[in-house]
Amino acid sequence: MTDGQPSKHPEADGANMGWNAVGYLLGGMAVWGFIGWLFDQWLGWDGIATGIGVIVGMFGAIYLIVRKLGV
Amino acid sequence: MAFLAEELPWPPSVEDVFLPSIAAGAWVTKFTLMVWLAVALIIVFFLVTYRAPALVPTKKQWFAESIYGFIREGVTKDVIGREGIKFAPYLTTLFCFIVVTNMFGIIPLLQVSPNAHIAFPAVLAVLSYVLFNYLGIRKHGLGKYLKMNLIPDAPKPMLIILVPIEFFSTFVLRPLTLALRLFANMFAGHMLLLVFTVGGFVLLGTNNILTQSVSLLSFAMAIILTLFEVIVAILQAYVFAVLTASYVQGALADEH
Repeated sequence: MTDGQPSKHPEADGANMGWNAVGYLLGGMAVWGFIGWLFDQWLGWDGIATGIGVIVGMFGAIYLIVRKLGV
Repeated sequence: MAFLAEELPWPPSVEDVFLPSIAAGAWVTKFTLMVWLAVALIIVFFLVTYRAPALVPTKKQWFAESIYGFIREGVTKDVIGREGIKFAPYLTTLFCFIVVTNMFGIIPLLQVSPNAHIAFPAVLAVLSYVLFNYLGIRKHGLGKYLKMNLIPDAPKPMLIILVPIEFFSTFVLRPLTLALRLFANMFAGHMLLLVFTVGGFVLLGTNNILTQSVSLLSFAMAIILTLFEVIVAILQAYVFAVLTASYVQGALADEH
């Protein structure tokens, strides 16, 4: 979005960055949690892959936030 | 007094925003008429105020100009930049439409906002979604647009984790949150007003002086929340316009 560019309007950027960060966190957990859940269903495990998936998703989301929205 | 409470729609439920049909099956409801009314109000308002534009504006012209100026300067130029000015008319229309339809939630007799029904925010979100994707694809071409949005600057092994997240947050979560934020705000506002007004009457209909006196508090809350809804109505329209502008800006941005 507004990553890396100096901006004249920090407030607008702040709000956008906030929504982006929340989007990444939710999206990361949802996508990898779902992929983990599919593995659980397939292999008949009782949720361990979902848990790992959520953690992988959070890790990816935080990586993206630092990379794209960080200073 | 006791039978009064039995006739009231209590407790409020989701069914309260699924309004009965007026004509043509489910195709014409109070919401349909309200959307027509909103469109008519906005068209008439801007036609009247801009009919004879003067260099020294009249009060009406000043009001219309400051709405347009606010979206053009405060949203479009701030978020998209100078090249974004051509989107100012769309964003102003969007902003005005959402403000007017939101305000219907607190206008006597109308008393419910079309945006409290998920269908209306969903269509507005789809419009924004199609707009920013179309602009991005037109400017960069499909391949490059997808590459810009899906492949972040990161080492190759990380991409396996990151690409699905980027896809989900850009192409699934964006329209979803855009629609849900507006819908949930207006739906919750409608429910709150119902709880405190209808609840006030229910309390008044009881046989106990103590619970009857609490209804005063309930009505007071209803009035305070009605004023609060004015802020929510404008704020949510603003947020919707800002986010649409921000998505357009993201789609038009050059590769970094």
